[in-house]
Formats: sequence, C-alpha cells, structure tokens
Amino acid sequence: MSMLQYLKNTVRSRSIHVAYVNVGSCNGCDIEILACLSPRYDIEQYGIYVHNNPREADVLLITGAFSSQWEDKLKPLWDKIPHPKVAVAIGNCPISGCVFNRPETLVDPPVSKHIPIAAEIPGCPPRPTEIISTILSLAPIIFKDYEETKK
Amino acid sequence: MKKTVDVSLPVGPMHPCFKEPCRIKCETRGEYVLSAEVELGYVKKGIERIMRGRPWQEVMFLAERVCGICSVIHNFVFIEAVENISGIVPTERAAFLRVIVNELDRMQSHLLANYSYCYTIEHETLAMYLLNLRETVMDQLELITGARVTCAYIIPGGVRSDLSAEDAERLRSALDHIDAELSRFIRIFETGPLIALRSKGVGILTKEAAIEAHAVGPTARASGIDNDQRSTHPTYKALGFSPIIRQEADNYARIMVRFEEVFQSTGLIRSALAALKEGPIRGGGTIKAGSIKYRNEAPRGELLYELTTDDYGRILEIAIQTPSIPNIQVCAHEMLIDAQSAADITSIFISSDPCIACTER
Repeated sequence: MSMLQYLKNTVRSRSIHVAYVNVGSCNGCDIEILACLSPRYDIEQYGIYVHNNPREADVLLITGAFSSQWEDKLKPLWDKIPHPKVAVAIGNCPISGCVFNRPETLVDPPVSKHIPIAAEIPGCPPRPTEIISTILSLAPIIFKDYEETKK
Repeated sequence: MKKTVDVSLPVGPMHPCFKEPCRIKCETRGEYVLSAEVELGYVKKGIERIMRGRPWQEVMFLAERVCGICSVIHNFVFIEAVENISGIVPTERAAFLRVIVNELDRMQSHLLANYSYCYTIEHETLAMYLLNLRETVMDQLELITGARVTCAYIIPGGVRSDLSAEDAERLRSALDHIDAELSRFIRIFETGPLIALRSKGVGILTKEAAIEAHAVGPTARASGIDNDQRSTHPTYKALGFSPIIRQEADNYARIMVRFEEVFQSTGLIRSALAALKEGPIRGGGTIKAGSIKYRNEAPRGELLYELTTDDYGRILEIAIQTPSIPNIQVCAHEMLIDAQSAADITSIFISSDPCIACTER
C-alpha cells in the first residue's frame, strides 16, 4: 500500500459525508435520519456529516418508493456524486414498495432498477441506530484502498 | 401590472433546510421577493387510489402512512370516522389513552417543527437541544405503543395495549423533565436578540388574509384566529381544552404557538392520566355501511377524512384533506411576498411547518 493510499484511508475513515434524498417516502424514514443528528445518537462522533449536497457526498441515503417525478432526476443526481460513492436504501419502500406497492399505485419500486444500491435497511421505519451501524459497517468496505483496488 | 424581475430564484427540490423535496420559485428584485410559487409533486404516491375497495384493516395501515411525522392523528381520525359510521363507542379508558398518545405525537411533531426553524435560522445549539428533547418524547411513545413511528395504536372500539401503573409513573416523570427543559429553551428563544431579528416582523400573515386563504392550525392561530378542532371533540371537552391564540402574526408567533402547545399537551396528558380509571381497553364491534365527514386537529391543523364504507367493512370512497394544503398556499401567496432577503425565504417557509408527504399523499 502506497503512502498516499494510507493517508486517504485514514482521512476517509473519519470523514463520511452523507446526502439524503426522498423519492416518495411518507416522512417516517426521513425523521429517523434526522433523529440520528440528535445528541443522543450523535452521528458526528463517528465522523459522519449530513450535508444534503450531492456534490460533496460519499453516501447517498434513499428513502421512498420511487414516484414517477424522479425517473429523470435520480440518475443525474447519482452521477453528480464524486467517486468513491455508495447508495443505501432506507426502509421497506425503496426495497419493495412497502404498503404502497399495490394495484393502481403511482410508485415504481424498487429503486435498484435505477441506480446501484449497496445496502438495504428494512423496517418501517428502521431505528436510527440501525441506520448509523449500516453506514459505519459499509463505509470501510467501499472506501478502503479504493484507488488501488480500482486498478 | 408588469413587474421588474431581476432573477427567478429557485429553492429546492433538494435543499439542506428541507426535510422533503419541494421547489419554491421566487421572483426577486435584488433580494426582495416579489412573488413566489410552490411546485409540488415529488412524493405523489396515490394513497387514496390504493385505499379504494380495500377492507378497513388494510386502509388503517395505509392511512397511518400518509404522513410519518403525524401518523397517530391519521390513525385517530380514520378509526373514529369508521366508528362513527358503525355506532361503536370506545371504552372510557381507551378514549383517554388515545388522547395521551395523540398529544405525545403532537409534542414530537411541534418539537421537530421548531427544530427545523431554529436550524434554518442557523441557531444550531437550540435546534439540537430541541431535537434531543424530542427523543424523550419518542421514548414515551415507544413505551406506550411499542414503536417510535407508525405505531397503529388505535383500533375500532379501543386501543391496542394498556398502560400499566409503573409506565404511567415513568410518563409523569418524563413530562416533568420536558416541562423543565422546555421552559429553559423558550427563555433562550424569547430573549435571543439575533433570533428576534430573524423572526419578529418577518413573514407577516394578516388575520384577513389567513381567513380568506383558509389557513389552519398554528399558522392560523398565530394570526389571531380561534380555530382548533379539538374543542369540538368529546374527550378533549371533558379535559377542559381551550385553544392557544397569539396576535403577532409573524414567524416568532408561529414558533411560540407551537412551544405553548407543547406545554398545553403535557397538561392535557397529566389531566388524562388523572382521569384514567381501571377498565377494559377494547370494546369490539362491526364496521357497517355508511358515509361520513370526520375531522380533528392534526399538529399542523384541521384534518378531514371523507369516506364511504359498505357492509363488508370495505372502504368504497375516500378523500383526505390535510392541513398543509392551505398552509403551503397561504405561505407562498401571502407570507413569502415582501420577504426582505433570500435567507428569509426558507425560514418563512419552514415556519408554516409544511409537510409535503401529507400534501401530496
């Protein structure tokens, strides 16, 4: 491992920038992401920052069952995120559509049809601790030695 | 009249201050806002289309998922609507337990709304204090119902689970903690000179404009309108409810109305706990055919369910009118006009506590 790679690994392990996008959720998962910010869970002690800006994000959290408005918007948004990047589906909705996946619905799950999803957290909604532990266990797998493994 | 427009300023759909996607298009001269328009449709799921023709047991869970922040009130209003059609009366203990859970839900929703506002005006310390206090309320919700969000606590004829005496004692001590902490946070909010600069006299909604646009909830009550559907509900009447009204009609008043309603909710829960008698929590009953318009007060204002059922307990027709619909409109057409700076656009919008998931369903 080169020195540069070692430095990058060290920096990346304590600096994970998160953006979240709501593609047709009921808000339940969004407020559980917000609850992660609260001093009780304190997501920033692990070096995770919620910026909600795709251009500086490493992790994209996706909530919601994919409404038709997002069909031409989610892919460009995903392309704006610089490499290395990872998408996490939060809640049942991006995985299966949850209760909304019924006849006559306007949503079109799963989200993995549109962008690659690395991890899924089931639950309606999942607890804040589950969201934090998923990001923490996923980040080393994706970001460690990224430049060297890519070659 | 032709307006001179410098910039058409879009805010959203993804914005750090917004919990949900929506776009505000503002026509500005310099930073002065001439007119604004809210563009919606990013989270349209068609819940009412899915609900049609399904049994109430399924519609109950769908109704809860109209909005994740105020899920208890959607459950509350839907179940009381089908109860009124079928002539089912909840047991006395269940009626008070419903009020306790509903008021806890209102408290966490108001604390979240005020967190968003403080975060938007960049007072992050107060915002985090409020978000931490909200976790205490969420613990109480979890203690009673078993889930933090979407708990499906209320069922026809009663509630799902009982409140034991020691849980009631824990709830009482948590309410004391919330009251003590919140009065400290309100003092910070009231006396902060920079908070006053960003809040007082910003986003004025006059009483006449609020009546004309049918504003509801804390947005209307901050403009001096006496409009709270809880004053018509029998259980709330028994607890001696009276709405909180302020006259200032600006951002500050809307946030203060929510703070005062949290105190009111802790008071209501205390009197409901005092009035709670031993007894059954489930009455049972059968859903019959009929149609009804039923309303109650959600954290954001008046929530209306209009539905038709048949003899098999299926929902034939359903229409939901949520409080954020008039509030978002009045925010775009009255409150955002004459905003002095672009930074006030988001703070004015958040002060009306918009819930996009409710609005679009």
